Amino acid sequence: MASQTPAVVMDNGTGFSKLGFAGNDSPSFVFPTAIATKGPGGGGGTGSGRPAVAQKPSYLTGGAGPAGHLSAKRGTEDLDYFIGDEAIAQASGPGYGIDYPIRHGQVENWDHMERFWQSSIFKYLRVEPEDHYFLLTEPPLNPPESRENTAEIMFESFNCAGLYIAVQAVLALAASWTSSKVTDRSLTGTVIDSGDGVTHVIPVAEGYVIGSSIKSIPIAGRDITYFVQSLLRDRGEPDSSLKTAEQIKEQFCYVCPDVVKEFTRFDREPERFQKYVVEKLGGKQATVDVGYEQFLAPEIFFNPEIYSSDFLTPLPTVVDQVIQSSPIDVRRGLYKNIVLSGGSTLYKDFGRRLQRDIRHLVENRIHASEVRSGGVKSGGLEVQVITHKRQRHGPWYGGSLLGQTPEFRSYCHTKAEYDEIGPSIVRRFALLGGPGT
Amino acid sequence: MSLLLEYHNLLLKTLLTERLNSSTPTGIDQIISDFDNVTYHVSTPEKKTQILISISIKCFQDLLQHGAQGVLEREYGPYITETEAGYDFSLLIDLEALPEDPAEREDLVRRVSLLRRNTLAAPFEKAINTHHQLAEAAKSASPESAPQQNESEVMVIRYRDEEAMYIQASHDRVTVIFSTVFREETDRIFGKVFLSEFVDARRRAIQNAPQVLYRNDPPLEIRGLVDEQQQQGQGEIGYVTFVLFPRHLTAQRREENISHIQTFRDYFHYHIKAAKAYMHSRMRRRVADFLKVLNRAKPEVEEGEKKERKTATGRSFRVQA
Repeated sequence: MASQTPAVVMDNGTGFSKLGFAGNDSPSFVFPTAIATKGPGGGGGTGSGRPAVAQKPSYLTGGAGPAGHLSAKRGTEDLDYFIGDEAIAQASGPGYGIDYPIRHGQVENWDHMERFWQSSIFKYLRVEPEDHYFLLTEPPLNPPESRENTAEIMFESFNCAGLYIAVQAVLALAASWTSSKVTDRSLTGTVIDSGDGVTHVIPVAEGYVIGSSIKSIPIAGRDITYFVQSLLRDRGEPDSSLKTAEQIKEQFCYVCPDVVKEFTRFDREPERFQKYVVEKLGGKQATVDVGYEQFLAPEIFFNPEIYSSDFLTPLPTVVDQVIQSSPIDVRRGLYKNIVLSGGSTLYKDFGRRLQRDIRHLVENRIHASEVRSGGVKSGGLEVQVITHKRQRHGPWYGGSLLGQTPEFRSYCHTKAEYDEIGPSIVRRFALLGGPGT
Repeated sequence: MSLLLEYHNLLLKTLLTERLNSSTPTGIDQIISDFDNVTYHVSTPEKKTQILISISIKCFQDLLQHGAQGVLEREYGPYITETEAGYDFSLLIDLEALPEDPAEREDLVRRVSLLRRNTLAAPFEKAINTHHQLAEAAKSASPESAPQQNESEVMVIRYRDEEAMYIQASHDRVTVIFSTVFREETDRIFGKVFLSEFVDARRRAIQNAPQVLYRNDPPLEIRGLVDEQQQQGQGEIGYVTFVLFPRHLTAQRREENISHIQTFRDYFHYHIKAAKAYMHSRMRRRVADFLKVLNRAKPEVEEGEKKERKTATGRSFRVQA
């Protein structure tokens, strides 16, 4: 071990960044992908498209001008920034503005992203990038230009030893190998990635994302929180803040097999109603009743009409549509290996309900075609939804798993290769963990 | 303001703070990396309440020669345990036998998170002690007698594959020399500017800063020690010399100065990278500016072929020339 430094795995998502070393079972740092810089925030949205630039650092002007002139320019404002939780703490005070450099999974503000990485590497992970290989993630359908920008920063600013950029969905598939249900370590499957902002259903065939079939659903963690909040408000609970709603969502919510039956069960067994105690400012306490929202909140995935009037397709139907729109020869594999990833898939029995609903859809279709073909029996189709322990940080864990394999380094592009070929080298990566490894 | 790098390992600190303050012990098995090929392994091999922290550091043999064991025993005394296989030094923290006082616990976490710093501190402490002895000796001796006794041997710490630290104590100063390798042309130039700033700082305002010298050939002090192998890459290697004067070596300053000088290499590379990041952001701004100029220069649509414009209701009208 001592001869090789562990690879650094960084999964920068829209909401949170997960940082750590390959081989560990959980990320070392999880904090918001936020950066607080001096001056007004929102550097990316200033219309002019000009990133805000701090004053020159001292040593760039140093040496050239006369000594007396130097002292005026002795600023180091370009280092005056915070990231992660510290950024959020600082932004509430005066002087700093906050910016989220990643929007919708893609890097919008490269200046801020470069500094965000700089601080992640030097301050949090404390590694010399020249000694380590890096594994970064990208969303599906990330434009190649964005990859090239990433490589430019990683190789030219940080001189990192080697770089691999993996697609989050593929890493999520790799993370599911820890589940006992997975027997063959294939990279074919459907990934349901539900984070805070949006839910994606991504079909992956042998390590490659089927881009044309990806579907996204505008219902995710944040919407569930809002829904819980609105239920609390409707009942007039003493506290219905977003934070309380979030806590209730995380502590009490589960998925039920049937909403109507669950309502009657609640009416029969009043002990199912629970209480949640909120600590308020000044040591006061408020008690909030937790009732039907326990099973109603995650239900918006399966019956979106109870929450939204714009989006009405239930998640199982979307998954089915995605698989049906994929090439016919991989559909069997996609049905067999439906992998969950992200914080909003952690509800109890989420996977079981999803599996049942998708199976219903599939069996109905098979039955209909059997009837139409006049008595020919179908061999059936296996539908399996895989839940595993590493779901929350699925892509990161997959990266950690693959990053510790001995052959990982041979899949990376090294600094020497980059110098030889240029940024376009990162347009292609050999498939990590694919067949033959 | 992240001008200086921290001396402690943040990850080790957060991990331990969390473990020490929570009542439910959980299993840990984490590999943590630090600058200069230092690797920690934090695990709970036997019981969930016993945390084993091992460090692997490249130059441990060098450090042992210069009294690392003593420093570590002083800092971690009762926590030292049998060294884990594959690592150089191990600590064991029993969560059931922690000091009661929260302040003491905090101090323990702080000390453990400084593991790398303390391990590396040994040769510096030794050099400073030697310096004090030599200074005493020089004071009592007459000015003419035995000048050859004034310098100690040079301590070599090969803390990276190709780079090393050289420390020498003498009666009026402690000299620390870093050999640094630059793979990149750009890095070398940034490094040079950066170091000239050190020299500048001393000239301008901060007279009591240590003297810093930068050169491409080995300084006289270590000429005999530099390996043949290291000399081969002549152009790429630079030598940075710090001369610490007695005022830096007083008892109240020395701990801090040891921390500072240890992180020098990382600090140096951090700032080179930060400078590059800054240059990139200037370049991006320039490109955005140029793009704006280019967009302004786009030819207007020819007057004659102007398309019909439509009103909101869909009726069209002709623009009067």
